[in-house]
Amino acid sequence: MRAAADLCRRSLSSVLRRSCRLYCTDQNSRVKIFDRNLKRKQRDRAAWLMSSKDSLLDAVAENLLDRLEDCKKTFPTALCMGGSLEAIRRLLHGRGGIEKLIMMDTSHDMVKLCEQAEQSLPNKNVETSFIVADEEFLPVKESSLDLVISCLGLHWTNDLPGAMIQSRLALKPDGLFLAAILGGETLRELRIACTVAQMEREGGISPRLSPLAQYVIMEKALPYNTTCYDMDYLVAWESVTRAGFSLPGVDVDEYTVRYNSDFEERYRLATAAVYESMFAAEDGTIPATFQVIFMTGWREHPSQQRAKQRGSATVSFKDIQKQFGGGS
Amino acid sequence: MVRGSGSLLRSAGVGISTTLAEILVCPLSKQPLRHCPKTNSLISDSIGVSYPIVDGIPLLVPADAKIIDAGDIKDSEERDSTV
Repeated sequence: MRAAADLCRRSLSSVLRRSCRLYCTDQNSRVKIFDRNLKRKQRDRAAWLMSSKDSLLDAVAENLLDRLEDCKKTFPTALCMGGSLEAIRRLLHGRGGIEKLIMMDTSHDMVKLCEQAEQSLPNKNVETSFIVADEEFLPVKESSLDLVISCLGLHWTNDLPGAMIQSRLALKPDGLFLAAILGGETLRELRIACTVAQMEREGGISPRLSPLAQYVIMEKALPYNTTCYDMDYLVAWESVTRAGFSLPGVDVDEYTVRYNSDFEERYRLATAAVYESMFAAEDGTIPATFQVIFMTGWREHPSQQRAKQRGSATVSFKDIQKQFGGGS
Repeated sequence: MVRGSGSLLRSAGVGISTTLAEILVCPLSKQPLRHCPKTNSLISDSIGVSYPIVDGIPLLVPADAKIIDAGDIKDSEERDSTV
């Protein structure tokens, strides 16, 4: 009996390994930056402590949902995964023609919280279902969704492109993937303050904040000359294109939240002192920057516009310039 | 109308809504799931793992999955072979 159970366990672990190999993009990397189990517990705790409305989360969710209004297409079946689920559900207001909405998170308490909110303030004409699942192991049948939306959840995945590939496979052709993740500039004041304080006390530094994706603009890829940041942990643009989405788009927004000075009590005194001396405003408030990277991608479909083959143009740009009187 | 029937199913605490039944698959093997009313769980026959349903919410995180006892697997295999 025990031998049989052992056999089962071994076969499960081999399946686990095999499925990891199938859906993970980087087979060699065994580095797990985030402990997903711990993250799950932290999200349970967040569900107990968080307030029902948060202006930052609402602003990001609103920005993300606003993009649905730019699409002529409607999205009858949608999956909302991770991050600020409740803000998305609350602010949806019938956008995107969503009829069936599936809310997903790794934390059971977070999903329960969302379900309670749905019962007290239901979305009209939207059938909402709830599941507990991990973005890295998406339990959704291939080609079954019209929209996958993730608001501030994917930056905690160990394999962002892998999670995005699974989302792409779950989408129907011409389905939309919309995500907002925190970028590397997030809480830069706190990063600096922690580093300076720790250098001063201990003569060395260790990372105290989650590593986040960096937004990199390749100077060659875009016509205008923009600042090129150093590559860090992940490149958002590369993730979208690597996941195989068509018509990809990445853009960045920065939010600055001003906290009252009681914010400092949450951190060690040395850090708080550095933070205040370096960044505090004259009115005594302290700013915190949140960089949000918005990513958009579509699952490929023959009806989508695509670039023609290189060298297939029949008219020279010089001729166009002449035609439209670009003599100046 | 659809909404009503979905919430009815959920309030009974057994099973999952038809929407979920249509789209959910096993997160590890991506193979279809079977609902087992006796244990109120979703079973992935292909790898012999069951995922619990708690308060009408299916828990599909691999860490929550339970490996089905060898006896159960044999039962289901026998049943499959007879079908």
